[in-house]
Amino acid sequence: MDSKNDEALDIIVTNVVATFRTRCHLNLRKIALEGTNVIYKPEMGKVLMKLRKPKITASIWSSGKIICTGATSEEEAKLGARRLARCLQKLGFKVRFSAFRVVNVLAVCSMPFAVHLINFTTNNRPIASYEPELHPAATYRIKNLKATVQVFSTGSLTVTGPNVQNVAAAVEHIYPILYECQKPRCK
Amino acid sequence: MSKAGLKCPNCGSSNIVNDDLYSQAQLVCVECGAVVSEGSLADDPLWGTDVSYSRTTAVKKNPCLNLIKGLERVKEICRILRLNAEIEHLAQTYFRTAYQHESFINVTLQRKEVLAGCCVCISCRQRNWPITLGTICCVLNAEETLLGGVYQEMLKILNIQAPFVSVVEVIETHVHEYKICKQDVPEDFAEDPKVLTKRAVELVELAGESWIVTGRRPLPLMMAATYLAWQSLNPNRHRLRFSLDKFCNMAKVRKRRAAATRITELKEVLCRLGKELPWVTEAVTESDVVPLVGDILKYRHSLLARALKTHEKALEANCAQTSTLNHPTDEVVPTQLSESRNETESTSSVVQLSPSNKGENQGDKNDDQSEEPAPNWGKKVLFAPPCVINAKRRRVERRVENCTGDEEISDSEIDSYIRSPQEARDFALMQKMLSLPNSEKS
Repeated sequence: MDSKNDEALDIIVTNVVATFRTRCHLNLRKIALEGTNVIYKPEMGKVLMKLRKPKITASIWSSGKIICTGATSEEEAKLGARRLARCLQKLGFKVRFSAFRVVNVLAVCSMPFAVHLINFTTNNRPIASYEPELHPAATYRIKNLKATVQVFSTGSLTVTGPNVQNVAAAVEHIYPILYECQKPRCK
Repeated sequence: MSKAGLKCPNCGSSNIVNDDLYSQAQLVCVECGAVVSEGSLADDPLWGTDVSYSRTTAVKKNPCLNLIKGLERVKEICRILRLNAEIEHLAQTYFRTAYQHESFINVTLQRKEVLAGCCVCISCRQRNWPITLGTICCVLNAEETLLGGVYQEMLKILNIQAPFVSVVEVIETHVHEYKICKQDVPEDFAEDPKVLTKRAVELVELAGESWIVTGRRPLPLMMAATYLAWQSLNPNRHRLRFSLDKFCNMAKVRKRRAAATRITELKEVLCRLGKELPWVTEAVTESDVVPLVGDILKYRHSLLARALKTHEKALEANCAQTSTLNHPTDEVVPTQLSESRNETESTSSVVQLSPSNKGENQGDKNDDQSEEPAPNWGKKVLFAPPCVINAKRRRVERRVENCTGDEEISDSEIDSYIRSPQEARDFALMQKMLSLPNSEKS
């Protein structure tokens, strides 16, 4: 039995979270008053700025640290971050784009078979944990890749990892394990 | 001393609220603002607690008071749930070990109480006594999320595992909660708990095979199974007309909203199986499937096999129909036959990454409609969960071709294209500088 069984599995990256720094103090009130598409949250001390294209939401703190979420690929995240820095530059701040880092990537994938979660967890303890009353998915943490895979009994997976490469590797890692514990289609 | 019966000594009003904005919770009168009772900080002795001589010279360390209280609480919970001594001992051992660990020694008393409940739960599970976290939640009157978090942490710290509790085991306890013995309700509606449990268990097993159980909370499902079992054991006109609300009122059980959806889903499954009964001639609808439930459950294995065959025949007929419409270039391979487990689908052997629609990459045939996503496994089997049958279609990202630069710019984006005054001046200056050398050259 091949490990991938001659089938293409589509991993769809749904969210990429990245951070960068502007190396200068930002006046949140000025951004809130003069910026476009901004939401000011004084109780949390940040400003949310939403870009149309690429579709990104950024949390801007006054220290100059910015978190961008909502991108669908690493390149898009970088593009969005740069566009955001440009917007801030136009508002008048002496912005420098530095320390860009992709922090988290979230992807979903769907197996062509259903998974028997109880067998899967008993075979893979303690890496896998499953508590049906708390959450309907089994959690599988791959330590060396620093990735977490949540396996649902319908065969859908959600994978989170530090970058897209790790996420793909995690899916390749877990496919054979899931294939063994698949639910037979018919009784 | 709860705030219900208190009266403010200053103005006499009984409108007293618990004010926990500051470092300690105080009971404060709303009308005049007087503090009715203060928290523990005010009760501290003035010059510190009196420490006796024997305590200052004690050699052995006394066990922590909260640890003793916690162990008593574990005992209490075990008594409430009527668990045997073995489980009680095990729970106390676990509590003692977990308490000493750094992540539980300096936490709030509420968290320590929840830890006690979790220890009881895990000991029950390890000794094959089926108990759900929901029961512990009710006993402790704690939040589910808090309980879940403490439970996971405790499992990690103690490094223990627990066998899984299936719904079938828990349903017996659940059914016994319903007060429908002969003493409580009229003869017409009474039912023996043993018979009721047996039928409810069969219904839950059927639900397990048809994807109603996985991923759902157990309680509404058990309620639905009990209700349908009760109705079907004596399907006279009264019982069939009795709604779920009235049933729960009669049995003195709190109704769950999700139970109604489970009832619909169970009835749908029962209808599908009821169609296969050989002695049923007219169509089976959801309103008249209940009298047939007894028969369906009795022969459910053979009915399932028959329903599966009918489904496969229908799928093959469908496939044959669509393949005559499409090009016969690709083979339509029915991979859903029960004999073959081998995947005979398309042969791209690379795991592909795509940020957009996955339909184009799957190998299933339908050349004419390249936009349609591949049929998932839900369409091929008889029973599948709702999320697979109505799978979400991903939005297709249209790749932009022929970008000419003359496209409309939306109002919100226009700001990033318009130059600021400084930029305009710089641009004008630069143009002048560029044109100067040209004019000099010429």
